Amino acid sequence: MIEGHVLHRQGPFTLDVAFSMGNGRSLGIFGPSGSGKTTTLRAIAGLVRPAGGRITIGGETVFDAESGAWTPPHKRRVGYMPQQYALFPHLTVRKNIAFGLQGWATEEADRRILELAALFHIDDLMDRRPSSLSSGQQQRVALASALAPRPRVLVLDEPFSALDQGLRHELRREIKTVQDRASVPMVIVSHDWADMVALCDRMVTIERGRVTSEGTPTEILKRPAAGILPWPTSIDNVFEGFVTLPDKFAGVTACTIGGELVIEAPYFEARQGDPVRIGIRAGDILLAIERPRSISARNIIPGRVVSTRAGDFETEVIVEAISGITASAQATFRVEITPRAVASLGIAPGLHVWLIIKTNSCFVLA
Amino acid sequence: MAFQSRSRKVSELRWAALGGLPVVLFLLFVGLPLAAILARGAGEPGFISRLTDASVLQPLRITFATSLITLAVICVACTPVSYVLARKRFPGRDIVDSLVELPTVLPPVVAGLGMLMAFGQRSEIGQALEAIGISLPFSMTAVVFAQIFVSAPFFIRAAKIGFESVDRSLEETALTLGAPPLQVFFRITLPLASRSMIGGAVLSWTRAIGEFGATLMFAGSLAGRTQTMPLAIMAAFEHDLGATLALATVLMAISLAVLVVTRLLLRRWSVLT
Repeated sequence: MIEGHVLHRQGPFTLDVAFSMGNGRSLGIFGPSGSGKTTTLRAIAGLVRPAGGRITIGGETVFDAESGAWTPPHKRRVGYMPQQYALFPHLTVRKNIAFGLQGWATEEADRRILELAALFHIDDLMDRRPSSLSSGQQQRVALASALAPRPRVLVLDEPFSALDQGLRHELRREIKTVQDRASVPMVIVSHDWADMVALCDRMVTIERGRVTSEGTPTEILKRPAAGILPWPTSIDNVFEGFVTLPDKFAGVTACTIGGELVIEAPYFEARQGDPVRIGIRAGDILLAIERPRSISARNIIPGRVVSTRAGDFETEVIVEAISGITASAQATFRVEITPRAVASLGIAPGLHVWLIIKTNSCFVLA
Repeated sequence: MAFQSRSRKVSELRWAALGGLPVVLFLLFVGLPLAAILARGAGEPGFISRLTDASVLQPLRITFATSLITLAVICVACTPVSYVLARKRFPGRDIVDSLVELPTVLPPVVAGLGMLMAFGQRSEIGQALEAIGISLPFSMTAVVFAQIFVSAPFFIRAAKIGFESVDRSLEETALTLGAPPLQVFFRITLPLASRSMIGGAVLSWTRAIGEFGATLMFAGSLAGRTQTMPLAIMAAFEHDLGATLALATVLMAISLAVLVVTRLLLRRWSVLT
């Protein structure tokens, strides 16, 4: 759908980034500030003309340094959402969304506006001006505006950097909905692991203008040596611990976390006693109210429900681990399951449960 | 308690006196001459009827005609200039920037003399124009030339600030939404810079209405042709104080109206943008 190679002078270093969305629907560009993420994104949108390389969108070459091909931004049909939402302050929300619909038949444009307003729950804000909206509302309007003219690809630059954690969670879910319903391919630039894991099929990591790894977010997270990338703190559960027993033949490395809780992670080479960090996503943990038997999952941990909090689509359950032997383990897990599962299992604070975690869902971050 | 509040009151009074006195003095300084014109004018026989006399209406017409043409020319021709100065980086930009500002510090008489030397009958350009039947000096066109020279920089400066204040990412987003550059300029850049531009346009226009020195040098003071209000005041002053005061009163009224209308206009504008 979209692939390219961008060569550009970028301050102290040369930007040299090749990327490809493959068959996926979304590509993440991940890296620390100043690594060249935004320049790459702007090159895709046509706002920066790279010194060299080539960019193809949906089979059309929009830039090729060799042949001199260049499609200007207004003809690329690339929806662009910069970091500061860039809403037109002199226009109402409705007119902001309608901006990209120049040349559409009035009736069709009106229908499109209504459709987007409903999708982003901004129906009652249509006559307001951007300055009177909250940052979450502004973000929604910006998304609706960018999507309005049905772009071939949507590029988002740090879409959630201006939002607090709770809102981020919510809007990530909304973008996910857009991905599913509008089936617009997306390129997302971020320095937050959670964005990559939640929204991207494929991703590249870049540092100082170079691609350092490429693959699915899970693949990249699993690689122990992730270079100088920031820690994926937003991978809901991160535990500090040490290596207990690396077992090459069993394909697992046992690690001890939270004092004496043993977790089996995919095998990696280490020595006994090496410090380790293990990350587990909230959605990868299963809950059972009886101790499961005959199951392939290797990590079955007894625990007690501390609290539950209902979100729009999932319920967050906080579970405190109880060590089988001395009950002194200190580990709290954030688990996400559907409200239906909560109801059918009767999950409530105080209930004894078993946490079930596949070995492969334990990412070694070291 | 009572003592404290009294001492506070005393200190407030002292500050009011310290700050208020200069304000009052300044208002008197500005207001007295204006009031004197009205007072002396009212003492003249038939003053009210003189306000609409042909001797007032004729220069008034010329003033409005020329200054409005000046304003139109400035808005059309100087908007691109301001945009380029605000947005583009090119060699010699600082020099161009200073040259554009020069007319604001140059004495208008010098500007008028310069125009006479450049476009006058004895200049090469003047002779070339003469050959095709155009004579600039002492024409209404010359009045407009003098006004543009002196007042354009006020507009350019304000419009430049207006353009500089428009967030680039808004223009970029508009481009990616499919609007070609010219459309982006008219739908995004111009509306967002408009407040500043209106302020500059009003300043330019009032400066053009009051233009005297450059006009006198380049266009002369020909009644019915190049004699604008300020020139008419000067001409009348030599023989008829009553006519002078009538002209001055009308000009004062116009200035006041412009001030009030602009304020109201910009207040509404700030609600809109």
